[in-house]
Amino acid sequence: MAHTAEHTAEIDVKEAWNGGQSPFRLSYGKMFMWFFLVSDALTFGGLLVSYGFIRHKYADVWPKAEHVFTHFPFVEQHIPLAYVGLMTFILIMSSVTMVLAVEAGHRMDKKGVILWMFWTIVGGAMFVGSQAWEWYHFIVGTDAGALRNVWDPATGAYVKQIWHGANMITNEYGVPQFANYFFFITGFHGTHVFSGVVLNLIIFLNVIKGTYARRGHYEMVEKVGLYWHFVDLVWVFVFTFFYLL
Amino acid sequence: MSEFHDNYPHYETMSNHDEDYGKKARRTLWNVFWIMLAITIFELVVGFLAPSKGWSGTWWLKTLFISLTVVKAAAIVLWFMHLGHEVKVFKYTILMPYLIFMFYLIFIILTEGTYSGGQSKMTRVDAIFVEQQNALKHGHHGGGESSEHHEAGAEEAHH
Repeated sequence: MAHTAEHTAEIDVKEAWNGGQSPFRLSYGKMFMWFFLVSDALTFGGLLVSYGFIRHKYADVWPKAEHVFTHFPFVEQHIPLAYVGLMTFILIMSSVTMVLAVEAGHRMDKKGVILWMFWTIVGGAMFVGSQAWEWYHFIVGTDAGALRNVWDPATGAYVKQIWHGANMITNEYGVPQFANYFFFITGFHGTHVFSGVVLNLIIFLNVIKGTYARRGHYEMVEKVGLYWHFVDLVWVFVFTFFYLL
Repeated sequence: MSEFHDNYPHYETMSNHDEDYGKKARRTLWNVFWIMLAITIFELVVGFLAPSKGWSGTWWLKTLFISLTVVKAAAIVLWFMHLGHEVKVFKYTILMPYLIFMFYLIFIILTEGTYSGGQSKMTRVDAIFVEQQNALKHGHHGGGESSEHHEAGAEEAHH
């Protein structure tokens, strides 16, 4: 296989689609990872647009994120945004370590790939753990709670009572739609992070076993890298629309 | 490599970068990271200050946050995901369908979304919650029996 110095080398447009070569200068696997990510991005895009729609409709009674997510581990005071800031930092950091693993792969530097993929997996696992912690505090709620009409299935009527935390039906912080969208979108994203960690782990083990050193390239690391960056990409939007705005 | 389907000639598996190339690539990647970190810290500081300064929910703050988000997203896609260095036809193959669908969806929501009605048509909203919100808006708390968030109450009462 002939390696060209620049993989973006000019293609003869007339020749590109004649067959026998990749007109995109990409492998089949990487191209389809991109196509998968486009479809996944449309799903997340649809969810976030729907979130924006409902949030606008319920704007008057929509809770403010800085009143909901105020906890920080080992700290008694309420610090809005600090914890999610830390989570965002962890995920961006793990995206950097991933891209460094890909870069090490380009130089066939097995030790480098192992090192950076290891930190990527650690970062991903920390993020999933943080999200579980965030969910826990959201579900348990504050000591004070808030007065709500709570549906009692036994009597089939609403009962006025102090309610703590949030579930899909009753929400201490505001309209239940807030909790519905929070659980669905961060849950869907968290599932992606979790599968990303699993995929990274599989590829990590293959790297250690030397599968890609024998194959002659670390393109599998690039493919899971694309997925991992996508997870970071989605979080950037979730962070803005759920926590900042 | 023949057991794989991706052994077309004329595409590069990028397994031949030397140390010099790697150094340059790493410098670029770290620069992108520092920019993204700076943007995120800036967003957090502004988001932290917003309630006390009365910036919350202003149009310029929303525009600022959304544009910074788009900048970060572009950095991830173009540098981390390497799309900026793929061939042009592939860039468009990925970006165009997505952008066309998303702009169409946002356009439809912005123009047709008004038919869902405002607060008058809201369903399944706890009456107590609407009461509490209205009480907050008019500058007095719902009284002792309504245990609205302390922080929320104190914050909102000023407006």
